[in-house]
Amino acid sequence: MKFIKNHLMFILPLVTILLGIEFYLVFDRTTDSYEKGLKEGYSMLVVTKKPAVLEDFKKLNPQVGSLEKIKRQNIVAEIAKGVNKGTQNEILAALPYFYNVSLQTYVDTAGLEKVKNDLEKDPNVKKVETFGNAYSSAYKLFSFIKFTLKLFIGFMGIVSLFLIIKQMEIWKYAHKERMQVMEIFGAPLMLRSGILFKVAIMDAFVATLLTSAFFLYIKFQWAAHSGIDIMMQKQEELFILSDIGILLGSALLIVIIAVYSVVFSSKGVQE
Amino acid sequence: MSNVISASHLTLSYDNGSKEIIKDANFNIKKGEFVFITGPSGSGKSTLLKALYGQLRPGEGSLIIGGHDLSSIRKGKLQELRTHLGIIFQDYKLVNEWTVSKNVVLPLMIAGYSVDVQNIQAQRLLKHVKLSEHGDKFPLELSGGEQQRVGVARALAKNPVVILADEPTGNLDDYSSNVIWDLMENACQQLETTVLVVTHKIPTIFSLPYRHFIIESKGVYEVH
Repeated sequence: MKFIKNHLMFILPLVTILLGIEFYLVFDRTTDSYEKGLKEGYSMLVVTKKPAVLEDFKKLNPQVGSLEKIKRQNIVAEIAKGVNKGTQNEILAALPYFYNVSLQTYVDTAGLEKVKNDLEKDPNVKKVETFGNAYSSAYKLFSFIKFTLKLFIGFMGIVSLFLIIKQMEIWKYAHKERMQVMEIFGAPLMLRSGILFKVAIMDAFVATLLTSAFFLYIKFQWAAHSGIDIMMQKQEELFILSDIGILLGSALLIVIIAVYSVVFSSKGVQE
Repeated sequence: MSNVISASHLTLSYDNGSKEIIKDANFNIKKGEFVFITGPSGSGKSTLLKALYGQLRPGEGSLIIGGHDLSSIRKGKLQELRTHLGIIFQDYKLVNEWTVSKNVVLPLMIAGYSVDVQNIQAQRLLKHVKLSEHGDKFPLELSGGEQQRVGVARALAKNPVVILADEPTGNLDDYSSNVIWDLMENACQQLETTVLVVTHKIPTIFSLPYRHFIIESKGVYEVH
């Protein structure tokens, strides 16, 4: 019972840290393309008096990335249904030219305003509609969710780290006497810390196994039936093979740091 | 006979030299000699012993044991040197979660002897200290005297060049003390091991010739 309790005291905080790392990886992977789409999918509407080409806008502001002409015939067809051909041609002649303008990089609201002002300096440009609010609020909401999750993961990590430090104190109490006696009789560092390393490395493997099992369940059982679009579409990215390596590497790194801290703080003979 | 331990203008101190314990000590101890070091409480007896097993680095002068100068010895060499020393403590310093047998063969384990050799040696050593039937017990199941016999057996495990004992009978009754002195006398006589014992008082029943040093007012003086 004591044996299991001692192991769980280290495995549980380690699993929490690994869960945090894996959540971060999964969230980063699944939302990366969404974030990219949010940036790339954005375009502003530019209305000109005469036809324009991309270079005209690039000269005004280098942030302009691409230009897509909106077919005026389609607009006329929408707004002049049931109107005779002659009148439709008159409307077409009177209509300005419409362009969807995409930007090269993501810019904030102030940046959008600058692009708008630069474009409007051209007398040929009648109107620029940035849809700034919708663009900004969608992206900000997304960024906020991402930040909150990272903050939560960070908080979880810190709390778990404290639990690990607590466990290190228990280790120190349990192993100090033996390590000191072995040191007096000339045992090298690896020999006197060998037992602690075995225990800790075993815990690292168990923690990695538990975390991997949890995410494999999420991937193959929960995500498939969750009804959440992003989960179902990105199911493959929920847990990939290389994650096991990252988790095991992280667990071993934590374990090695923890064990060495205990070993070095146990040096010297207690009088 | 060659010197096994040699101190020349030795100064030992704590707190980076601010608390001087032993100053300008000079002495030589030869192979196979039995040496008592006495002195009042706090005089520096245990400090000298600590320096001899490398737990405290000499501040000034030299302290040579088994050909190694402890004032400049490197970590790796110190580890190796310690494997040639047998150390006995007043509080035994046994590993309580290990069996008596495992405690006894610790020096052999460190030296990388096979488990078979360790088992054979454990039986031999435990027989030598008359604890054959206690090999599978844990130290806390034994009396103080028995625990110290385990400590002596551990110190003898690798036929050490030097045995350093810090108040080995300090916690024991007269009967147990005599058993411990007998064991150390035997080691000195039969194996020609140099034995250096820090103690409050020299045992009244002691058959071997011995040398006696006293530590007083930071100095180490031989009593003739």
